[in-house]
Amino acid sequence: MSIADATLVPITQRAWLTPSRRAGIALLGVLAAFALLGPLLVSVDPTEQDLAASLAPSGADYWLGADHYGRSMLVRLAYGAQLSFGMALLTVATAALPGILLGLLAAWRGGWLERILDLASTVLLALPGLLLVLILLAFAPGTFGPLYLGLALTLWIEFYRVTRVTAAGVLRQPHVEATQLLGFGTGYILRSLVLPEIAPILITLSAFAMSTAIIAISTLSAISVGLRPPTPELGAMVVELLPYYAEAPLHVLMPGVLIFLLVLGLQLATRSDVR
Amino acid sequence: MNAPVRFQSLTVSDLAISAGETTIVRDVAFTLAQGRPVTLLGASGSGKSLVAHAIMGSLPTGLSARGAITLDGEDLLAGSPAQIRARWGRTIAILPQEPWLALDPTMRIAGQVGEVHQYLHGLGSADTTTRMRSDLAEVGLGDRAQAYPHELSGGMCQRAAIAVTHAAGASLLIADEPTKGLDAALRDGVVTRLRQEVEQGRLLLTITHDIAVAGALGGMVGVMHDGALVEFGPAEQVLEAPRHDYARALIAADPAKWPSFPLPAAGEAVVSARGLAKRFGERALFEGLDVSVRRGEIVAIVGPSGCGKTTVGNILLGLVAPDHGAVERAAGLAPTRFQKLYQDPPAAFAPHQTVRQSLGDLLKLHGLDWARAEASMARFGLGRELLDRRPNEVSGGELQRFAILRALLLDPVFLFADEATSRLDPVSQKDVFAILIEAVRERGLSLLMVTHETALAEMVARRILTLGSPENP
Repeated sequence: MSIADATLVPITQRAWLTPSRRAGIALLGVLAAFALLGPLLVSVDPTEQDLAASLAPSGADYWLGADHYGRSMLVRLAYGAQLSFGMALLTVATAALPGILLGLLAAWRGGWLERILDLASTVLLALPGLLLVLILLAFAPGTFGPLYLGLALTLWIEFYRVTRVTAAGVLRQPHVEATQLLGFGTGYILRSLVLPEIAPILITLSAFAMSTAIIAISTLSAISVGLRPPTPELGAMVVELLPYYAEAPLHVLMPGVLIFLLVLGLQLATRSDVR
Repeated sequence: MNAPVRFQSLTVSDLAISAGETTIVRDVAFTLAQGRPVTLLGASGSGKSLVAHAIMGSLPTGLSARGAITLDGEDLLAGSPAQIRARWGRTIAILPQEPWLALDPTMRIAGQVGEVHQYLHGLGSADTTTRMRSDLAEVGLGDRAQAYPHELSGGMCQRAAIAVTHAAGASLLIADEPTKGLDAALRDGVVTRLRQEVEQGRLLLTITHDIAVAGALGGMVGVMHDGALVEFGPAEQVLEAPRHDYARALIAADPAKWPSFPLPAAGEAVVSARGLAKRFGERALFEGLDVSVRRGEIVAIVGPSGCGKTTVGNILLGLVAPDHGAVERAAGLAPTRFQKLYQDPPAAFAPHQTVRQSLGDLLKLHGLDWARAEASMARFGLGRELLDRRPNEVSGGELQRFAILRALLLDPVFLFADEATSRLDPVSQKDVFAILIEAVRERGLSLLMVTHETALAEMVARRILTLGSPENP
C-alpha cells in the first residue's frame, strides 16, 4: 500500500555503494592491478621458454610457478586477464552502442522501422550465437577479428530489445508528453529523460554481456577455434596444461579460477538491490 | 465460525511517530466509539495516513510510534510482529484506496470473497459458498458474484473490497481515501455503504481530504496539519464553526464556499474544433462535438468517468488525433503556448530530476532568466528548499503549482487542466485555482478544465460542457 504521507517520511538515501557492489569493485580492482602490474614486476616475455623450469612450483624464481614450457605463469595469467577483459570490453562496447541507439530509435519512431529492426533481430536470434562465431572464424581462424565480430553480432540483440521495450515504457509516461509540450526536442527527451531511467538495467545487461563474452572467448579458445597458442589466453591455457594435471594440479586450476573471479567481480559490481 | 466480535472503542492517546530523531507526527489523541465514526481530514503530508498505519502496525521501516493505542483494553502498539500480523484482516482491516487496483484482476469476485472463508477460517466448500453469497448480498453485489473486477464500476469494486473485509470478520475498518478518483454519484454510494458499516456496529476510521465525505459520515471529525491533530470534535461543530486557523482555511476551501470573481469579457477564439468524433474500439466516446475556447475564458468539461472528457482536451492540444472533425488554432501562435496540467502532479515531472534541474533546463531552452522563475515561486508560495528535491519528495499541491509555474513561464494562451486538482486537498485546490484564475484575468489565458466535481465547475467556469455516454453509466 502506498503511503500518502510520503513527503513527511525523511528520504533515506539509497546507498549506491552496497556491500556487494563494494566487494565486486574491490575484486575487479585487485584483478586489474594484477593484470596491469604483473608484467611490470616480472618483466618477462609471456612466450619466453625455459625448459629447465618446466612445471616449476611456486617459489622465488617463479612466483606462481611455470608451465610445461617453463613460461612464467604469473606473466601469462596477467596477459591472459588483460586479453580476456580487454576483448570482452571491446566486444560489449561494439554491441551496446548500436543496440542501444537502434532500440531508442525503434521505441521513438515505431512503425515500419521498428518492425524491420525487430525482424532483423529475430532472424539473428534464431541463429545460435556460437555457430555464427564459428562461421566467421572459418574465414580467418585463430585471429581476433572474426571472434570479436561474431560475438558483437549476437550480443547487440539483447541491448536492442531491452532498450526498445524499456524506452517505450518511459516514452508513454505523461512527463514525456509534458516535456514535449514545453518545447523540448527529441534529443533532450532521449538523453535526459529516457537514458537515465533505463541506465541501471543497461549496466546490469552490460555485465552479463561481458561475462558471456569472457566465457565465450575462453571456451572457443579451449576448443582450439578461438585464439591459438602461444597467445596467453586463459581458456587455451587450461587446455594446454590439462595433460599435466597429475603433476601440477594448481597450474591447471589457476586460469579457471581467474575466469571465475573476473565474472564474479563483474556480477557483484553491477548487482542492483532487490526492491 | 464464531460470531464476529464487535469492539466498543479504540482510544489513541499521545501518539507520536518519529523517524530516528525527528518527530513527524505528534499529539494525536482521539477516541473512536461504536456509532461515532472518526474522520481525519487534512492535506497529503499532514500525517493522517501515518496515524492509520500506526494503528494497523504497518509503519514503514525506520519509523516508530510512541504513545498508546488501545482497542477495548488491548494495547495495539505492544506485541510481536507476529501478533500484529495476526490482527490484520481478522481484527483490523484497511479498505484500500482505489480498490480496483487492490482486487485480483484475474479472479472473479466470488472467489476473492470465498477464499477468505476457505483459507482464513478453514471452512468447507459448501459453507464457503453460502457465506460468500451472504457477504456479497449484504453489500448489494449478490447478482454480480461471477464478475471480474474490470467488469465492475469503481463503486462496486469498493463494495467488493468491503465484502472481503466482512468475510474476514474485521470489526475495525480503516478507510484510506475511500472516495479518491470517484465522481460525485459514486462517492455518495460509498459514503452510504460506510454509514451502514457503522450502523452494524463496526468501528470506522476514515481518512480523507474531502470535506463533503466528512460531513456525510457524521460522528467525530479531526483535522490534521503538519503532523499534529489541531482540531477534534463532533462533525457539526468542526465543520460549521472550526476554531483552529488551518481548520477554518480547510472548511472555507470547499468550492461551494469560494467567493465569486469577475472575469473580463472573452476575446476571439484561441482554439476551436468542429464535428469531433472519437471511438475507442467499439465504443463511441462522442460524435459531432463542437468545442471552442476563447481568450480569457474558463470552460469546464464535466461528465462521468470514462466519457472522454480528457480525450477532448487532448484533441484540442493535438496530442490525440480525432477520427473525424478538425481542430483550428488562432494564427501566429507558437506551439509551446498551448500547455497542459496533469491529474497526478508527480507523473508530469521526470522522476530522477530535481525540480531545479527540470526548471533550469526549461529556462535554458527558452533563454529565460532564473530571476523570473524565482519571482513566480515567491508569488506562488513555493520555498527555495523545494528546488533540490525530486518530484516524489514534494507534496502534490506544491508540485502542481510548480507545473503551473513551468507552463506560465512560456506565456501560454491555452491551458488544459486535466483534473488538475482532483488529487489535492481542498486548501491546495483553492491555491491552485487562485493562481489559475489570476492568470486568466491578467494574461487573458484560456483555461479548459476537466473535472468530475460539478460544484467546482459551476464555481469556476463560465461555460460548462457536459459529456455523457449512455453506454457507460
